[in-house]
Amino acid sequence: MSETTASRPAPRGMAMLRRIDPAVAASFGCILLLLLVGSLYSRSFLSPDYLLQQLKVASFLGVIATGMMLVILLGQIDLSVPWVVTTGAMMACAAAAHGTTGAVVAIPFGILCGAAIGLLNGIGVAYLRIPSMIITLATNAVAQGLMVAYTGGFSPQDSASKAMRYLATGNAVPGLPNAVLVWAIIGAVAVWLLSRTTFGRAIYAIGNRERAAYLSGIDTRRVTMLAFALSGALSAFGGVLLAGYASKAAQSMGDAYLLPSIAAVVLGGTHILGGRGSYLGTIAGVILITLLQSILSVMQISEAGRQLIYGAVIILMLLIYGRQKA
Amino acid sequence: MIAAEPLFRAEGLSKRYGGVIALDRADLTVHPGRIHAILGENGAGKSTLIKLMVGVVAPDEGRMTLGGREVAFGNPSAANDAGIVCIFQELSLIPDLSVADNIMISRPPTRLGMIDRRAQRRIAEDALERAGAGDIHPRALVKDLPLSRRQMVEIAKALSRRPKILILDEATSALTASDVTKVFEVLKRLRSEGLALLYISHRMHEIAELADDCSVFRNGRRISTFAAGTKTDAEVIELMIGREYKHAFPDKPVRRADGRPPSLQCRGLGWGNRLKDISFSLHAGEIIGLGGLDGQGQRELLLALFGVLRDISGDILIDGDKVAIDSPVAAKSERIGLALIPEDRKTEGLMLPMSVRDNLSAAAFDRFARFGIIDRQRQSALIDEMIRLIEIKTASPDLPVSALSGGNQQKVVIAKWLMNKPRIILLNDPTRGIDVGTKQEIYRLLRRLADDGAAILLYSTDYDELIGCCDRVLVMYDGAVRRELAGAEITERALVSSALNVDDSARAEASPA
Repeated sequence: MSETTASRPAPRGMAMLRRIDPAVAASFGCILLLLLVGSLYSRSFLSPDYLLQQLKVASFLGVIATGMMLVILLGQIDLSVPWVVTTGAMMACAAAAHGTTGAVVAIPFGILCGAAIGLLNGIGVAYLRIPSMIITLATNAVAQGLMVAYTGGFSPQDSASKAMRYLATGNAVPGLPNAVLVWAIIGAVAVWLLSRTTFGRAIYAIGNRERAAYLSGIDTRRVTMLAFALSGALSAFGGVLLAGYASKAAQSMGDAYLLPSIAAVVLGGTHILGGRGSYLGTIAGVILITLLQSILSVMQISEAGRQLIYGAVIILMLLIYGRQKA
Repeated sequence: MIAAEPLFRAEGLSKRYGGVIALDRADLTVHPGRIHAILGENGAGKSTLIKLMVGVVAPDEGRMTLGGREVAFGNPSAANDAGIVCIFQELSLIPDLSVADNIMISRPPTRLGMIDRRAQRRIAEDALERAGAGDIHPRALVKDLPLSRRQMVEIAKALSRRPKILILDEATSALTASDVTKVFEVLKRLRSEGLALLYISHRMHEIAELADDCSVFRNGRRISTFAAGTKTDAEVIELMIGREYKHAFPDKPVRRADGRPPSLQCRGLGWGNRLKDISFSLHAGEIIGLGGLDGQGQRELLLALFGVLRDISGDILIDGDKVAIDSPVAAKSERIGLALIPEDRKTEGLMLPMSVRDNLSAAAFDRFARFGIIDRQRQSALIDEMIRLIEIKTASPDLPVSALSGGNQQKVVIAKWLMNKPRIILLNDPTRGIDVGTKQEIYRLLRRLADDGAAILLYSTDYDELIGCCDRVLVMYDGAVRRELAGAEITERALVSSALNVDDSARAEASPA
């Protein structure tokens, strides 16, 4: 049984087909199904305007899920998303309130704050060996405390800078929302990072077998730390975009992004224990989750019912194809 | 052979995995009270045959009879109930449970619906005693035991199920010489109790000592069955590999001193109380063996050299310069040029689900990436070259490494480090559980690397390997180098006696290997 694969090479086309993860294919299938169901409720569901609007909403989640994916590929988790998103948004808005210089540095400042929290997570996980589930929950709480202390618990008065609003709502290319463009660029960089750089390949190696990666002379701790820092930066960037979209930051605006970002990554076929997954799958997962949320609100189901259905559908989909052979 | 009624008979068994025929109308007859050795290269169909016998997979065609009645097992526990129990090559113990828990894992004794700890402990003690490992405490955690002791627990676990046929699939590959002797006593006693034993091993001298009958498998079929001792090793190996068997080990060249400082030198190396005052020099072109019983510090020594262990005392010198190696990253750096082929390829050497390409790349990014960006063309060229050089049998470098045979996986582990062009190569039992053909390829490869100027430190639990491969052997005992053997001094007798730390007065008897 051991020589199973020493046999004939498969033709190229077959190899391409086999490369497509069944989970990714299933995700795209579900997206089509959702569109079909939605179109039964409302004609406008298949209109380009609506679809583009959905894609725009999806890009916020997409940016956040990109960071989450890096961390999940490592076999870790980042639960600090809610308040890192909020921190990014609030700090960017706070900077924007300080005149012209403030407006210029607003976006990088917001992202930097998120990266700093992410770096803290990374140091905790990689060097202090604290389980990621604990340290990221803890930094989430600390970030929450800092933000509540800063705002006094009220919605902050600072509003988003022009650049932030432009990034989230403008159209640099006619017909294509900037937010989608931003997600596309970040996605392209993520694909490149994961497939063409030693950093990306090291992430997969660590997620598969950290011990073997370490003994291969990969600096596993630095890679882990960087991945968390990137996750923090991307979460905060998501927050910056959201603040631009809503013109200002709000308390607990990030709460709605923790479960969806994890679910999007896992529904897209990334193994929850790390080591396997493609960015294409994450794109599918993000669109799937966004459409699901949208359809539930179009159907005018009460908030309680929406949460129930939303959770149940995620569990169901994970049962169907999210589980992979260990 | 013998006239007695066979206990088990398999006829015309076939099994296909996809397009690959793993077993092709194979047959086998097993008699009670005999030890039957199954020989064959990896991929010859031995493992598949065993899996069919213990109900792990179902045959595509053919039938099996046990005690004259036809049987078909839907799952391993049905086979266990019928009296066929197998100890697999890979350990099946749960590290965080106690020895007793592990032995009783599938059917713990209960009282009022709860596990009866006292009965469990008694049964475990009994089973350990029968397995010749009465010194293992039933409440010890499995993860605290060294590999060889775990294997004894595995044997005890199998015995606690009261088998009629006991199958040992490479069960001794992790064992040290003294443990093997104990296991053999146990197996011989079981034979006299009327058990049928199927014994799969790649170690010829074990088979010679133990087996009554031998069956050779090749390409999914039984090629020949004969009474043990009626064929020479060379004849048996010829049957197994289907080609003429030449020297198992390449010749050792005579090394001339060239006045250069040793590639690797240790002075008074220590680590806690696990390594004590270890000093040796390893020159370019030389293969030094590490011998001794398992768990005497050989593994720790290799890890210490590779920068994995913290708080090491003593000095390590590379090319005569003192260096500090504080991580594998430092160890593989250009200046130091170390490589470590680790003990367990499945957990330390490879990322099993990842492709051959990714695995071969993992240690050698620097060879084809600049500023962290991979040059795909250069990567593919290097990988293709390495696959050709080491003769890794894979349809494509993009296949997951888990799809390769054990021997080929081990080649990937070694090749992955050769990508880095290391000057000093540390190997931790690289031929454990792999087939004869691949073993010989590895021996030839090691000698070729040494001839090309690499310095090699080889830990092996196989005495033949130390005798046949090494220019010098350091025998370790209790964390220290007990004795250094060179050239013709390296004999099985000298290795065993110094491994056991007994005085070997008759060392003059040494004869060239």
